[in-house]
Amino acid sequence: MVLVIQRLGLLETQILLWPPIPSKPGNLASKRGVEDLDFFIGDEALANAKTPGYGVHYPIRHGMIDNWDHMERYWEQTIFKYLRAEPEDHYFLLTEPPLNPPENREQTAEIFFESFNIKGLYIAVQAVLALAASWSSNKVTDRTLTGTVIDSGDGVTHVIPCAEGYVIGSAIKNIPIAGRDISQFVLNLMRERGEMTAVPPEDQLKIAGKVKENYSYVCQDIVKEFRKYDAEPYKYFERYDGEHSVTGRKYAVDVGYERFLAPEIFFNPEIYSSDFLTPLPDIVDDVIQASPIDVRRGLYKNIVLSGGSTMFQHFGQRLKRDLKQLVDRRIDASVVSSGSTQRSSGVDVDVISHKRQRYAVWFGGSLLASLPEFYTSCHTKAQYDEIGPSICRRYQIFGSAT
Amino acid sequence: MSNVLRPYLAAVRSTLTAALTLENFSSQVVERHNKPEVEARGSKEVLLNPLTISRNENERVLIEPSVNSIRMSIKIKQADEIERILCHKFTRFMMQRAESFVVLRRKPVPGYDISFLITHVHAETMLKHKIVDFIIQFMEEVDREISEMKLSLNARARIVAESYLSAFNA
Amino acid sequence: MILLEPHNVIIQTTLADKIAKPSSLDVAFVDFDGVRFHISTPDRKTVIQLSMNIRCWDELVQFGAMNILQREYGSLLKPSPEPEYNVSLDIDLDQVPAEEEARETFIRSVSLFKRNALAAPFELAFKQQKELEASGSSQSELMQIHYRDEEAIYVQASQDRVTVIFSTVFREETDRIFGKVFLQEFVDARRQPSIQNAPQVLYNSRDPPLEIREVPGLRNTEDIGYVTFVLFPRHFTNPTTATNTISHIQLFRDYLHYHIKCSKAYMHSRMRHRVSEFQKVLNRAKTEVATTERKTASGRTMSNR
Repeated sequence: MVLVIQRLGLLETQILLWPPIPSKPGNLASKRGVEDLDFFIGDEALANAKTPGYGVHYPIRHGMIDNWDHMERYWEQTIFKYLRAEPEDHYFLLTEPPLNPPENREQTAEIFFESFNIKGLYIAVQAVLALAASWSSNKVTDRTLTGTVIDSGDGVTHVIPCAEGYVIGSAIKNIPIAGRDISQFVLNLMRERGEMTAVPPEDQLKIAGKVKENYSYVCQDIVKEFRKYDAEPYKYFERYDGEHSVTGRKYAVDVGYERFLAPEIFFNPEIYSSDFLTPLPDIVDDVIQASPIDVRRGLYKNIVLSGGSTMFQHFGQRLKRDLKQLVDRRIDASVVSSGSTQRSSGVDVDVISHKRQRYAVWFGGSLLASLPEFYTSCHTKAQYDEIGPSICRRYQIFGSAT
Repeated sequence: MSNVLRPYLAAVRSTLTAALTLENFSSQVVERHNKPEVEARGSKEVLLNPLTISRNENERVLIEPSVNSIRMSIKIKQADEIERILCHKFTRFMMQRAESFVVLRRKPVPGYDISFLITHVHAETMLKHKIVDFIIQFMEEVDREISEMKLSLNARARIVAESYLSAFNA
Repeated sequence: MILLEPHNVIIQTTLADKIAKPSSLDVAFVDFDGVRFHISTPDRKTVIQLSMNIRCWDELVQFGAMNILQREYGSLLKPSPEPEYNVSLDIDLDQVPAEEEARETFIRSVSLFKRNALAAPFELAFKQQKELEASGSSQSELMQIHYRDEEAIYVQASQDRVTVIFSTVFREETDRIFGKVFLQEFVDARRQPSIQNAPQVLYNSRDPPLEIREVPGLRNTEDIGYVTFVLFPRHFTNPTTATNTISHIQLFRDYLHYHIKCSKAYMHSRMRHRVSEFQKVLNRAKTEVATTERKTASGRTMSNR
């Protein structure tokens, strides 16, 4: 569960993403006092990470809560220090990754209802919120919760099909290529070219990350792009200026082919890794083909991007083009093999990118939380007290009856 | 373990060990049913006499044996309001996780704080004396845990009050 | 974090960000005690409008909140607030002081918006106490601030002190009992030599204390408690101490509830630890089941679902 969204509230999301908690080590149960309040979260945590006696902990691993003690304290500080809300007065919307075990929902509900006495809770699946976030794009005309979500963060990329707000769990696929790998790939490329010699070793990965974020884009054709760069290097090569964090010495690196090669690892993974070779468009196609036949059209028509590693320029167009080619080829093949003279009307493929892509999940959450029907979809404290944590195993999908 | 507690626990241990003589027993009432008789209460003759071991009026154990299952309920010491609520929280927290504590009942028997239900299946798949050990250890530690929780609550309250009030001097 | 901070972090960070890089904005958020904020750029990117809705606004105005806000924010205060909100500020980002330090102070003062509004009755009471001391009359009128649906603050100035009474409601049984423990410690803590200068604290559960007994509509049910703080002139004669005292005492209720919740979280982590210990003990009872692979005649393996 990545973020806390509080009704009425909008937050500086960065504080909340991937919370590292530095705190004093040692077993909590043996302490008597308020040592458990001595910790920081988010950016403050990273700022204090070097203080002796503190260590950084990550209560969330691979999108799932790993350490409930830390997570509870993390929530405690989020609510009282950053959101500054009396939890007893508010409803909360939390998000979870797809295929989160229901026990985790129960444990979360237990913390929120029993420790914090919150008024009501809704736990939403991240992919569904990402779909809702795409409603803000002006290309979207009908507000549907059917679509394929490509969620690419730092560690892993998921391709998740959703039909009418329900995640089709059996068809989900993961790709072990995401932000961290792209940074590493950029670093390798720059090292090979000898750009990194001027850069202090501890800053190299950071610089690679900056290059990825600020200069990279997706090209339509690698070969043409290489030619373009070689013909007019001064036009396309960029210069990145940095400063050594300790000594303050200035240095500069040239940014070249990695500008378009970095995101290319999604489309041609063989240039980076030798164990994972399936390009992203093929995976998306596989996922949709593995889904029930009656929703496939909807899934092709509404492919939504979410997460920081989908922010590259023209990423959507390239994915759309490659996927369209795959789909058309298959239709043509089936026409040929059926031997009939009737032509298929074809399948619409559309990839939607929008401005809120980076925090799409969070944005979708705030969008749904501002709907009046949000309150009726929540489970309230009274219901929790009546039935117990198992009530949170099931939540009503937005916009559905009952 | 304090010396005063020892005879009480020893009595519970021996009674429980004696009661844990269970066998597979199909229901006499419904064909092809096999249920813990102590819960189903289908036929009287398979239920044995329930037995209470009390240390004092606030701490007691109820053991209800039957032919294929026994139910054991514990009333935990609660000296005051705080201990009562802490005990309630703790047992509730544990019963919430009854799934992984196979012998734990999800709800206590009325008048008690926590109940265990041991069936012949448990007795067959698990070591009997270790189950008894578990229950005895639970009884031993739960008291200590609750009084420690109470102490730490008081200690926290003191620190909290002091830090609030001393801020007025600043 | 033991003490809560008086300023609002969201206002602080948003403002600092927008001063560095103005962009359009429309955010609604909250603060303790049901205060709602709305921060937006209605006309252009460089003018930020910050509006606040506070439950007991009418009462606060009566006690001079407008004067305090006028003093703190001067021309920033909008003559007519945004609809649905009680008071609005217009912050022109081009007018923000350029020097680092002055800018920090400015951001800080804006982030204390709620604190300043809620300071009105306290400042008034401190002033009244001075007057009463000079004139020799006994008591001023009791000020009531209904800052939450069921809870209120009562402030009264006397000749030699200012009495602040909080009514606190605990919705949950656990909270009520934890709250009692905490409040008892507040009463007892003053015995410590180091904090004898702190205000005197009294706690009544159920029955309202003498000072407010005449107030109509008070409840005396099991879930309500009254906490009395007696502030002596040493807590507010010096203007800096007075400011400090006001920021501090305003957050009493939230502080109390924050720590009740933290204690519950702490209890949870203790229980988690203990339960996992018990789990280990029980697991020792489980016998190792010998797992031999079972195969059908055709060589297929059987698996338990």
